[in-house]
Amino acid sequence: MTEEHPALALRGLVKRFDSKVAVAGVDLDVPTGSFYGLLGPNGAGKTTTLSMAVGLLRPDGGQARVLGYDVWADPVRAKQLLGVMPDGVRLFDRLSGAELLAYHGLLRGMDPAVVDRRAAELLDVLALGDAGRTLVVDYSAGMKKKIGLACALLHGPRLLVLDEPFEAVDPVSAALIRDILHRYVTGGGTVVFSSHVMEVVERLCSHVAILADGTIKRVGTLDEVRAGRALEDVFVEVVGGRTATGEELAWLSR
Amino acid sequence: MAVPVSPAVDGSGPARPVRARHFVRLKLRVTANNFRGQGWRIALFVFGAFFGLWFAVGGFFLFAAPGLAGNDQYAILAAALGGGLVALGWLILPLVFFGVDETLDPARFALLPLTRRTLVTGLAAAALVSVPTVAVLLALFGLVVTAALLGGWLAGLVAVLGVLSGLLLCVAGSRALTSAFASMLRSRRVRDLAAVLLAVLAALLGPVQIALTASLRDADWDRLAGVARVVGWTPLGAPWSAGIEVAQGRAWAALAKLLITWVTVAGLLLWWSRSLESAMVGTATAGPAPARRGPTGGAVAQLFPRPLGWLGRTRFGALTARECRYWWRDARRRANLITLAVVGVFVPVMVNFGGSGVAFDSEQGFSGLGSASPVLVSLSMVFVGVLAAVTLANQFGFDGSAYAANVVAGISGRLELQARMAAFSIYVVPMLGAIAVIVVLVLGEPGWIGLTLGSLLATYGGGLAVNTFLSVLGAYSLPETSNPFAMNTGAGVARSFLTLVSMVVSAVTAVPMLVAAVLLGDAWHWLALPVGAAYGVGVALLGAYLAGDVLDRRMPELLATVTPRR
Repeated sequence: MTEEHPALALRGLVKRFDSKVAVAGVDLDVPTGSFYGLLGPNGAGKTTTLSMAVGLLRPDGGQARVLGYDVWADPVRAKQLLGVMPDGVRLFDRLSGAELLAYHGLLRGMDPAVVDRRAAELLDVLALGDAGRTLVVDYSAGMKKKIGLACALLHGPRLLVLDEPFEAVDPVSAALIRDILHRYVTGGGTVVFSSHVMEVVERLCSHVAILADGTIKRVGTLDEVRAGRALEDVFVEVVGGRTATGEELAWLSR
Repeated sequence: MAVPVSPAVDGSGPARPVRARHFVRLKLRVTANNFRGQGWRIALFVFGAFFGLWFAVGGFFLFAAPGLAGNDQYAILAAALGGGLVALGWLILPLVFFGVDETLDPARFALLPLTRRTLVTGLAAAALVSVPTVAVLLALFGLVVTAALLGGWLAGLVAVLGVLSGLLLCVAGSRALTSAFASMLRSRRVRDLAAVLLAVLAALLGPVQIALTASLRDADWDRLAGVARVVGWTPLGAPWSAGIEVAQGRAWAALAKLLITWVTVAGLLLWWSRSLESAMVGTATAGPAPARRGPTGGAVAQLFPRPLGWLGRTRFGALTARECRYWWRDARRRANLITLAVVGVFVPVMVNFGGSGVAFDSEQGFSGLGSASPVLVSLSMVFVGVLAAVTLANQFGFDGSAYAANVVAGISGRLELQARMAAFSIYVVPMLGAIAVIVVLVLGEPGWIGLTLGSLLATYGGGLAVNTFLSVLGAYSLPETSNPFAMNTGAGVARSFLTLVSMVVSAVTAVPMLVAAVLLGDAWHWLALPVGAAYGVGVALLGAYLAGDVLDRRMPELLATVTPRR
């Protein structure tokens, strides 16, 4: 039955913090097999939206469905199909990479033999095998992103939700992460990720949504949103950026 | 577009000096901002302030009583012993229970061009601005009243000076101590140091106990006054008794005592500024851990510590194994475990020796110990069991935002809580066993092993149930610093209050055991162990069952409360 449903469907998601509205009614359909980029400036509500979509933050209103299963009404089924890499959230970082993967695998109720096999493979592919028993807390930022991704992938989810997967990652690791995600989508998986790096989005995504001030401003396939222009221009226009005139901050030049 | 730059005009001239008041203002501002939009925090703060005031007024009259009664004799008692106790508590309690308020985390000042001197004075000044300091200051001003009534305005003036210096001593001392303790626990040699610490404390037990029981047995005021006079000359008692010395006509003594205080304060500040440096650079000094080589077996085998190999490779097993690893690898949790081990041995031995009216006479040695009563032993065991369980009161706070992994995986609340209880018990139950054995051996009553262990297990189980609820409903976030004693602004009152509530409620769950100890007499000595163990396990499981339901309903909310605000 899951084939008729979009991989992720958000309906009227709303979140208020105190008096401030962080997300003001987001509707989004992520088709199965798509590579979906959620674009937005800092503070647009990307993390809040994704957190509500995966069950980390209870929305004040609205619905989130993963392949037809309501994340908040039927969390067990929905979460089985989901792989999540949150941003600004710590891992259980006093474990080594292998231990962390084993923990995540068993937490998902996987067979220990399968966990062992996949963990070894993931550590190898992500070039984390050399770290040995180093604790994740002592990893570099790029390594932390990679082990986070490995944790999200381990149980073979149908939908992968990644919050800022390319933030603070060096080009080599970024290329590796891109390759892996590409393979995952080619193999029938769906990826939703947030970013504010235009090049990555333009290179990877089949679909794009631009989020600003807690609402979706533009949505569609990459070509629909670009409409023949550079994505960056569309983004700045939608978000309403300002350019420096050169008059202010004069004291910066000597 | 080169603009002529004149340094004096655009503020890039010589920097204006940073003074202590800037730190104080910063602390007040941070505290106020933390209250913004958090009604319950304000309520807790007001509650705490009210509580503090209540104690302060009580303490004030206690300290002022000798003066009001015009009694010279008790003045030195109140000043040296009472003040000394306050100072001692100020130094030790943060380590054991309450933690240090790190509203102004020293690490945040690492990048600013401040001299160490500015920083230390500033942080000390900021530390003085808190509810406990104000309350204690108010209480200790009772001594000023005493000194002034007994010796006129000059004595009162000296007492004011003494009390203020003493307060400074308390603050500097507790900061230096926790800071040093923190860097000690951070280091990789912590195991050895912890062992040394335990040994030293154990060695201290003997002499302290002898002195205490001797003074308690005689309980005559002359001897106590003698002790007070001696304590009055230590840094712990010197600042408080300076005013009394003037009142009793020994101006030179007052001066000497003030000097002792000031030298100690200077020394403590120096010590603190030393350890501050390492706190500021934080874990960076430790460097990244050397890559530990040679993984043994697959990933799953690595997750499970070797002694826990028997755990099933299931969700429960994974949760338990991860918790076990964390209780040792996380400095904050390890500090709790070590403190528990130290206090767990220390307190019952002290209580049972002091309270039993033990005589230490040269012929019999410690042989007269049989007079310790089963009820008293049970009571002290209740305390240890409660203390053990209270460590879990903010178990999710230890995890912080990492708890998100369990939320995303959709772990059921009951499983989560049972695994956490199991993992903690793997450490604590053997520890409780050791404590029970030590206590009965020291008391010379090996036959009481069932009684002590039974009471311990029952209280611990009850405490687990209570604290599991508390950890789900009353969690709060811990700051992500390297200081295991640090806590967030405004969390101090909340933490102390919740700890007190949980200890009281946990103790209540142990009441059946105490009643049985009183009613059943000798039979209880042997029934206590099986009944206590069964009771403890039963109550703990019931707690996990009920609290698990609550957790299932508020997982995201719990995650939000334990995630540190940035």
